[in-house]
Amino acid sequence: MQWQRQQDDRSNCMRMRKARSAESAEIGQKRQSIRHRTFLEYRHYRYLKLAVALSLVAIFVYAWFSFPVGRYGGTMVGYALGTVGALLIVWLMWLGMQKRRYRSNTNGLQGWVSAHIYLGASLIVVATLHTGFHIGWNVHTLAYVLMLTVIFSGFFGVYVYMRLPSLMTENMGEDTLDSVMLKIADADRDIRRVAMAMPDAVSRAAEDSIQYTVIGGGVLAQFRGNPKKCPTRLATKFLEDVGKTLNGEDQQRNHELYSLMLRKKKLVARARADIRFKAALNLWLYFHVPLSFALLAALSAHIISVFFYW
Amino acid sequence: MKLTITQLTRNRQGQTVPSELALQADPLRIGRGADCKLHLPDPRVSLHHATMGLNDDGTCFIEAVAGNVKIDGSFERSMRLRTGQKIRVGPFEIIVLPTPPSVDLALSVELVDPLKAELSDIRANLKTGLTGTWLSKRNLSWIAGSAIAFIFLLWPVMNALNTHDREANAKLNIPPDASWNPGPLASAHHSFGRDCAQCHATPFVQTKNEQCESCHKSIGWHFVLENKAARSLHESVFMKSAEASRCAACHRDHKGPLGLIRQDSPLCTQCHADLKTRHPETTSPNIADFSRDHPAFKLSMLVPGKTGQDAVVRIAQDSGTAETSNLKFPHDIHLTKKGIRGPASKVTMSCKNCHVPDENGIRFKPTTMKEHCQDCHSLEFEPKASKRQVPHGNVDDVMATLKEFYAQAALADTPIDVVVQDGVRRPGERLSSAKRESALKWATQKAEKTGSELMEDRVCFACHEIRRVKGSNEGSDEKTPSWKIAPIAITQHWLPKARFPHNKHNTKDCGSCHQVAASKLSSDIAIPDIKNCRECHGGNTVAVDKAPGTCETCHGFHVGGSRSGTPVPLPGVLPYDTKDPKGLKPKAPLKVAHLHEQAKPVPQP
Repeated sequence: MQWQRQQDDRSNCMRMRKARSAESAEIGQKRQSIRHRTFLEYRHYRYLKLAVALSLVAIFVYAWFSFPVGRYGGTMVGYALGTVGALLIVWLMWLGMQKRRYRSNTNGLQGWVSAHIYLGASLIVVATLHTGFHIGWNVHTLAYVLMLTVIFSGFFGVYVYMRLPSLMTENMGEDTLDSVMLKIADADRDIRRVAMAMPDAVSRAAEDSIQYTVIGGGVLAQFRGNPKKCPTRLATKFLEDVGKTLNGEDQQRNHELYSLMLRKKKLVARARADIRFKAALNLWLYFHVPLSFALLAALSAHIISVFFYW
Repeated sequence: MKLTITQLTRNRQGQTVPSELALQADPLRIGRGADCKLHLPDPRVSLHHATMGLNDDGTCFIEAVAGNVKIDGSFERSMRLRTGQKIRVGPFEIIVLPTPPSVDLALSVELVDPLKAELSDIRANLKTGLTGTWLSKRNLSWIAGSAIAFIFLLWPVMNALNTHDREANAKLNIPPDASWNPGPLASAHHSFGRDCAQCHATPFVQTKNEQCESCHKSIGWHFVLENKAARSLHESVFMKSAEASRCAACHRDHKGPLGLIRQDSPLCTQCHADLKTRHPETTSPNIADFSRDHPAFKLSMLVPGKTGQDAVVRIAQDSGTAETSNLKFPHDIHLTKKGIRGPASKVTMSCKNCHVPDENGIRFKPTTMKEHCQDCHSLEFEPKASKRQVPHGNVDDVMATLKEFYAQAALADTPIDVVVQDGVRRPGERLSSAKRESALKWATQKAEKTGSELMEDRVCFACHEIRRVKGSNEGSDEKTPSWKIAPIAITQHWLPKARFPHNKHNTKDCGSCHQVAASKLSSDIAIPDIKNCRECHGGNTVAVDKAPGTCETCHGFHVGGSRSGTPVPLPGVLPYDTKDPKGLKPKAPLKVAHLHEQAKPVPQP
């Protein structure tokens, strides 16, 4: 009877989960499309148009004017492109500060991000033309290469922001990390209650799962997700094995504990996936931001050195 | 076995609240299990952790069953219990109390190490984002930014400002400011080593002309500033601004060969394409492109017998001018393939017998009588008796040599076959003054006769234009014959305003440009014309099948520069002082050795 009830519960649970995940996927799509519009399609691609216009003007000016010594950063066009590029870099970095200040006005923030992405991309054109395709082992090329690294790390960031949120909503549904953690805590409480009456070995496995299951942690742990020696995983396996040797009331209790542990295992996996997604969502910034400051330093060295040895 | 167990719990204020319980059990099972009389509900306690019992002598003992038991700090398997002992069973502390009379054992039980946290505590200890980890955007930014600022900015700046260290560091393989170098130096500038301050003397100040002129001392401007008009033109074109007169405005190092020496046509054609509108007083034509509107070459030809400004005339090549070198030289006879009579046997001559390239391989050494002609054209005057030759160059010297020779023959002790005069002289006989006078007279007559033969019939006349005159010789009277040799003017550099390196054209035969094989007269000018050049050279725009033909291919910009094709300062004209353009102060004449020397007229005989 009890077993039957549990089966029913489980199938109900599955049905609900399916429904919930379908619902959450829909919401996820909606969210994603909203996010899309907010930073890439902002005001009908206003900044994309601006960036394309800027690039075209730069290409035209570069092609139109020729210089006896050739095209490079030290010609009038070179100085003009360099000034535009340097101002863009400083302005785009200023966005970093601006972003922290802009708490209340999300619309404004979206505009800034949109401008940041598109105008940042146009820097590839402006700065490449500024170099006049002269590359060498010097601080000037260092600044250029750093700039490209910053821009492409930014592109990766855009990709991540486009891709991951939908995966995250797919993973979490309506839950948040906090609610999943609460559910894990609930499961732990039930596990502890049931395990109390179980043989020591079972109880110890359950208690290990409760005490030593790590969610999150250091940088590597956050990315690694489900370790092989996760106590919850081991406990589930152990309970499964032990179940075969038990009978009577113990077996029933073991079965209850097993299903609780299975539920916890899934919750833990979801929490870890969420943490991994969040880490991936933010990791590129740990390249993008420090490289930006490295770029700022190299850019200053580039500009000062050029006029120091004029 | 009767027991009293005092359970100690703590209320919210942390005060201990005892609750007493009387039990009867033998033995007393201690554990998490429901069948344990001393029930310790904690996962850290085993189902049946330990057992307490009564010894035969009425004392009590404890025995560990499935868990560890720590008594007064040390793990024990079993032990007799004494009052005051502290027993740890998992997180619980059991103290053996003094036994009241009615029971066998009194214990107090307290949960001293409650289970940590349910969820909130665990949650607080979890790192669920990168923010709490060792990764820090701020730290990474500081490290990356300051490392780059130090290596690529601070260090080179400190190096540049410290003169002493800079000179020492310039000898390093990678000096501090190596990272600032935008491109390799021109090869001639490699002698500066890695000391940037050789040119970049003052921080944040553009390189100055002084730095260039400390080595390039003889570089002139674009004009020969010999008159007021040229100077005012110079002022208006090149002295308008500091930038216009800066060397580095045109010459940029670190940019490859094209950067250092401009080879673009606009440099010239921006003025020269429309020169007549810009400067109506100019005598130069408008030229926009070598392949289209470059006029016929103007030849600079030496004028025989003239010096100074008149020594050279400029004539358009297509005006049909002939050279007047006053030298007789038929190229066809000398270059005939059948060969020509040489000193010993027949020789077949080629161009290089007479036209020997100079040290640079650009042009040719002057052809001289002594080196190139005299082997065949000997100046022997009495070949039967002597190998002696008359000196080349001066009629007086020729006559003096002849007179000396014949006087010696007539008066000396040793007679020679050619001396035939009044009777045979005995050895040792002193001549009388009358005889000496007669001998001298004979010698003079003989010299004049032989001189006349040399000049007019045998030797000199073969190459020179010679005119007989009366008594112009030194110390001679009206009746003595003499000769005028027309002054020689062999033009060495026909196109001094252009640059033509012969060594870069040596894949061609001489005759493919200089058509002299059939030339019978020395008045034929064998300099190839512009059509000849255009066969291989294109114009401003790059042609697929032509070599470049920009202005710079042939002409230089600077007066007297090593690539110069610009006018050479004429003798006596002092060039412009580059450091004092306004003051028009003359300085030492420019050193324009190769151009100047070869445009120099041959001295009058």
